[in-house]
Amino acid sequence: MLEIQDLRSRYGKRSPAVLDGLELTLQDGQIGVVLGKNGSGKTTLFKNILGIKKPDSGSILFDGEDLLKMSRSARARRVAYVPQSIHFGALSVFDTVLMGRVSYFGFKAGKEDEEAVWRILRDMQLEAFAARNVEQLSGGERQKIAIARALAQEPRLLVFDEPTGNLDVANEQLIIEEARRVSREKGIAILTSLHDFNQALELGDRFFFLRDGRIRHSGGAEIVTEDVIREIFDAEVRVVEIEGKKIIVNGGKKT
Amino acid sequence: MREHADLLKKRKKNTAAIGLLALAVLVLAVVCLMVGVSRLTVGECFAAIAKKGSAANIRIIWNIRLPRVLAAIIAGAGLSVAGLVMQTDLNNPMASPSTLGVSNAAVFGANLSIIVFAGGFLSTGNNLTNYTSGINPYAASLMAFVFSTVSILMILGLCRLRAFQPGVVVLAGIALGSVWTAATTILQFYATDVGLSAAVVWSFGDLGRAKYRTDLIMAIVVLMGIGFFSAMSWKLNALLSGDAAAKSMGVHVDRLRFWTMLFASIITAVCVSTLGIIGFVGIICPHVTKKLLGQDHRVSIPASALSGSILLLLADTLSRSIGKGSALPVGAITSLLGAPFFLAIIFGRKGEHD
Repeated sequence: MLEIQDLRSRYGKRSPAVLDGLELTLQDGQIGVVLGKNGSGKTTLFKNILGIKKPDSGSILFDGEDLLKMSRSARARRVAYVPQSIHFGALSVFDTVLMGRVSYFGFKAGKEDEEAVWRILRDMQLEAFAARNVEQLSGGERQKIAIARALAQEPRLLVFDEPTGNLDVANEQLIIEEARRVSREKGIAILTSLHDFNQALELGDRFFFLRDGRIRHSGGAEIVTEDVIREIFDAEVRVVEIEGKKIIVNGGKKT
Repeated sequence: MREHADLLKKRKKNTAAIGLLALAVLVLAVVCLMVGVSRLTVGECFAAIAKKGSAANIRIIWNIRLPRVLAAIIAGAGLSVAGLVMQTDLNNPMASPSTLGVSNAAVFGANLSIIVFAGGFLSTGNNLTNYTSGINPYAASLMAFVFSTVSILMILGLCRLRAFQPGVVVLAGIALGSVWTAATTILQFYATDVGLSAAVVWSFGDLGRAKYRTDLIMAIVVLMGIGFFSAMSWKLNALLSGDAAAKSMGVHVDRLRFWTMLFASIITAVCVSTLGIIGFVGIICPHVTKKLLGQDHRVSIPASALSGSILLLLADTLSRSIGKGSALPVGAITSLLGAPFFLAIIFGRKGEHD
């Protein structure tokens, strides 16, 4: 379980707080989607959880342990990251995924590390890519490799920053499905951010509406309403139901 | 399974490439021993190495050519690997041993020693007229090393304040480098003709200055560096994915960057202060290696090291063949030889790892 309490974070002493007393709880195996405007602090929140940025105050507990006080490699074995913009070096796909295990092996990969990588590649149907140069793959394929690398860390929590940001429609669907599969099959909790409300509803179990450095609303799909979206995004949308499925349509009601 | 076999094949190919490069270094080293003002045959060459054959040949091989061949192998490997590591550290393909102003500081140190203290008027190895006067033939090298170390520590100390953001390191290096260059210009402005020419000659990279003692010092530093970088291969690989990704995989990015930059700079400082400026090796060799064999540091570290040795051996052989009795500055030859090849690689057939 991820428990964030009173998290405050800023860039530089004189700049305003980006996160200002943020509270968030995510249960094991749940998929949480953080929703907020550009610049609302989603990426800062993720950076804090991943230990990329030190918060000014507050605590981030994972299964009761303080993530901020853990060694980097101990944290890497619990929390993994799929960044928003993905670039690797010119390495083979196999070695790129193997890299995810560096917090386990340190200096030289062992046999069990290689076996773990083969397992993940097989699971994700990426085996045929093993010897390919990762830089020659398409955006969607690279995104999948980044997920595979994160899984190689055997994490309990996957932080997934805008997974569909740079993808076309087909790949968006693919990655959403992959994320859901990973979470269901392995019981890994996922914390992600999405701009598309419908994708969010499709993927998420929990929703966190972030504005001015705080979570203003959190809960299940029922909290994704016209009023909440107006409050958080200053935007008018319409919530309609089609075949029992909640759909968000841009543009408000005609008055 | 086919996938396993593919991967294995790729790995074998990389190992074979490294083996081939190592073989090339050995062959070139022998060629380098043979070629010169007095040409030796392979047989004479090996005989002299075994301390048989004519006394003159033994002296040529052991006193003149062997130390310089060793210097070429060691300094080539060191400068090339230092460049590779800096490029990864700073996420900048143009980063090289001179990025941190290490070479500029070395030049200043040597200039100070030669011009102000009239120390270490080195034999350039070009001719046997040795206008050594000064206090100690090593004085210029020593001063060069001291100043480049001071420069490294200043840069790394400054960059620590900014958590080693790669852009900041590059800019700080350029800024400090230009300070050293300016100071050198001022020194040279006030120098006497003899001092000025000695100082300028010092800055030409020249393998002829190598002695067994300096070779040993370089070898220790370069081997330690390569060992350290090799141990860090996976962490450097992770750094290719960017700081945030590397940190999330458990890599201490700031620490890694500090220590690898420090080591790379020290390698540079030692090579440059003993041999003078040998440019371009640190850019061209890692670049070609990465283009052909990919960026996996487990491969690119040994491959860059060996290709650095090859370039310097080639350059030295050439410089002694066309210099008509005196060797041309090897630093100029590395660029003359390297640049066209470099351009051909960049604009030519796309590498496998494009």
